[in-house]
Amino acid sequence: MTAKAANTRFARFRNLEFILGVLLAGGMCLAVLLSGVLFPGGADKIDLMARLTAPFVNWAHPLGTDPLGRDVLARVVAGGKISLLVGFTSVAGAVVVGVVMGLVSGYYRGFWDMLVMRFADVQLALPFILLAITFIAIVGGGLTNTIVLLIISQWVQYARLVRGSVLSLREREFIQSARAIGVRDVKILFQHLLPNLIGPVIVLMTLNVANNILLESSLTFLGLGVDPLIPSWGGMLADGRTYLQNAWWVSVFPGLAILLTVLGLNLLGDWLRDSLDPTGRTSR
Amino acid sequence: MINKKGIHAAFIALALTGSLLTTAPAFAAGTLTVSSPQDPGSWDPVDTFLVNWASVSTNIFDGLTYRGPDRKLVPGLATAWEELDGGKRLRFTLREGVKFHNGEPFNAEAVKYTFDRLLGEEGSKGPQKSNYAVIERVEIIDEKTVDLHLKAPDPVLLTKLAGYGAMIVPPKYIQEKGEDYFNTHPVGTGPFKFVSYEPKVAIKLEAFADHWGGAPKLSNLDFRFIAEPATAVAELQAGRVDLVIPPTIPIGMIPTIQGDDKLEIVSTPGPTVYALRFNTRDGITKDPKVRKALVLGVDRDTIIQSILGGQAAPIASFQGELSFGFDPTMKPLPYDPEQAKALLKEAGVAPGASVQIDVRGNDATFNEVVQAVASYLQLVGINATIKPYETNVLLNDIIPAGKTGAMFQQSWGGWTLDYDNTAYSMYHSGEKWNPYDTDADLDKLLESQRSITDQPKREEILKQIANYAADRALEMPLYNLNAIYGVSKRVKNFTPVPDSRLRLTDVTVE
Repeated sequence: MTAKAANTRFARFRNLEFILGVLLAGGMCLAVLLSGVLFPGGADKIDLMARLTAPFVNWAHPLGTDPLGRDVLARVVAGGKISLLVGFTSVAGAVVVGVVMGLVSGYYRGFWDMLVMRFADVQLALPFILLAITFIAIVGGGLTNTIVLLIISQWVQYARLVRGSVLSLREREFIQSARAIGVRDVKILFQHLLPNLIGPVIVLMTLNVANNILLESSLTFLGLGVDPLIPSWGGMLADGRTYLQNAWWVSVFPGLAILLTVLGLNLLGDWLRDSLDPTGRTSR
Repeated sequence: MINKKGIHAAFIALALTGSLLTTAPAFAAGTLTVSSPQDPGSWDPVDTFLVNWASVSTNIFDGLTYRGPDRKLVPGLATAWEELDGGKRLRFTLREGVKFHNGEPFNAEAVKYTFDRLLGEEGSKGPQKSNYAVIERVEIIDEKTVDLHLKAPDPVLLTKLAGYGAMIVPPKYIQEKGEDYFNTHPVGTGPFKFVSYEPKVAIKLEAFADHWGGAPKLSNLDFRFIAEPATAVAELQAGRVDLVIPPTIPIGMIPTIQGDDKLEIVSTPGPTVYALRFNTRDGITKDPKVRKALVLGVDRDTIIQSILGGQAAPIASFQGELSFGFDPTMKPLPYDPEQAKALLKEAGVAPGASVQIDVRGNDATFNEVVQAVASYLQLVGINATIKPYETNVLLNDIIPAGKTGAMFQQSWGGWTLDYDNTAYSMYHSGEKWNPYDTDADLDKLLESQRSITDQPKREEILKQIANYAADRALEMPLYNLNAIYGVSKRVKNFTPVPDSRLRLTDVTVE
């Protein structure tokens, strides 16, 4: 087998990752965005007489109903709204905070570096669940607080990643020369440094969106998250727990939705990492 | 690891039953294994208010009086009692020939020691003292007669003497071994004596053949602490547990047990009542019309039949049918959304007004109920949101400080099954559980019945209180939940008790 043939096969595999990732994650996002049109008002309608209808029996409720007689399919689709919202906004927030912190501490070094990195060390030493329980005990649960909590717990990863890249980049000639001709710091940071290190950050972002969807689910599952009236995947899993033995569909379908979305996002992340990786690029 | 221990224990139990069968054939044999959701940590009667303390300890200790599943007060360690000085002195004649498990004799000294300890320094460390604060002192008349001197007549005291803090403890044993040792090695006069205790895992008891009421029919009684309902039910299905006691089995798991032909569900009306209480001080729920409209707007019967699988009864006031003070002529407000809408309009509440309901986050069944309530309110034009709190936060910070939303969850059930306890805590001005309301008339009614020992007269006043509170719609009464037991069919002669105070003397196993 020639090297070239191996390479094309490799490339095709990468394409498969991409296609699957887009299909799964994109499809889920689309369904969630269109949930209002697909199931107008269907997710909250309680029908106590039709509680725990089995799936694939009654086509008014293709995936069955939950303990309050709400349509599981409509709720899975609507529930994605919260999960995806939390996933994307928390990552966006963490990136903004983390990248700025990382740039500043890597570029200026000295006192700010010390301060930010020691703070990061302390935070990394705290287990997430401990942080979550303390935070929610103090400021209370809810959607906004959940997002803030995730930002607080994750900015460190970006800060560390960015700082590492800045440390090596700042010694390179193009930065040295920019500094020598007197370019302002802000411009160096955001125009020269940032574009050169954003690749790994984007990859980490896609992986963290998936991760945060899972975290939101576990927080809601523990009863630390959002209002139980608003459907969310984690909340649905928790609701279905006591019914696992006689009504598996209440928790299995939201679980599947989490699985497929996270799988899709992870595939996309993998594909992104491969295509952004400089060594991968030269070998092609 | 737990499994290994279980198997190990089973072998020991088998060996024990075997040896008992051969050496003492007159002695009935058999081990009953019970799953209890909570380990109280200390078995000292003055240390606890957990119902699951009582599930175990009712078998180890006796009180002066006894109240069984039929809720009739009968002689316990006292064979007779009389009221003297207009109810301010109670004279007890003590049972003769009773011994503690360690051989110490039961006498007037033990009674005096028990109450001196409960009302003294040791009792102050635990939560039981305040329930018996009405007792001023104990006077020993002779070896078999004691007088309880009361600060004021207390109509509920004789019932309270049948449980919890009033359990008679052995003076010499505690003085010799110390308080700490007694916490983990309880000794009483009850039908079962203590064998071993492994914190968070199990407590084992064996029959006390010299019990004054005759030896129990079981030879061994093991309690295992299993907090997770799914685990408890799985153990029951696997036959490693014979009885799962409340509060463990969630309504959602009942069909699982009913579907297993080796098991059955046994339930009885319990003491626990659920209500959504109103903030009567601020917002739209200040208006009694609005409160009544909200009650009318929720179809509580349907909720009970569907979500609760019929394991609850509708209530008209904040008490169940077993409660002293229950008025059978009171009927719950019907489900009438039209009248609710009309009342809301009359009160000037615009459609779309919002109401926040505060609940305990960990109560899965109630969470479903409250979501259904919210959707019924939606139908009469009220937007309800639900705010789950960590239980301790809700009970210690939010409710007592009056920081709740317009409605909040209250689950309540006293083992004395006397409406006085509920009504006084919920409605009397300045009580911890009544952050919003002051009503001089209601206060007067509540206080008046506390000193009446004439029970029929007191019952009348309690009924009056219940009607008064319902007229003002101080809460949305939801339901009285059954005490639900999961029982293996090898267990015979089991009578479910409403208040978790199980006494398993007549039970046998196959």
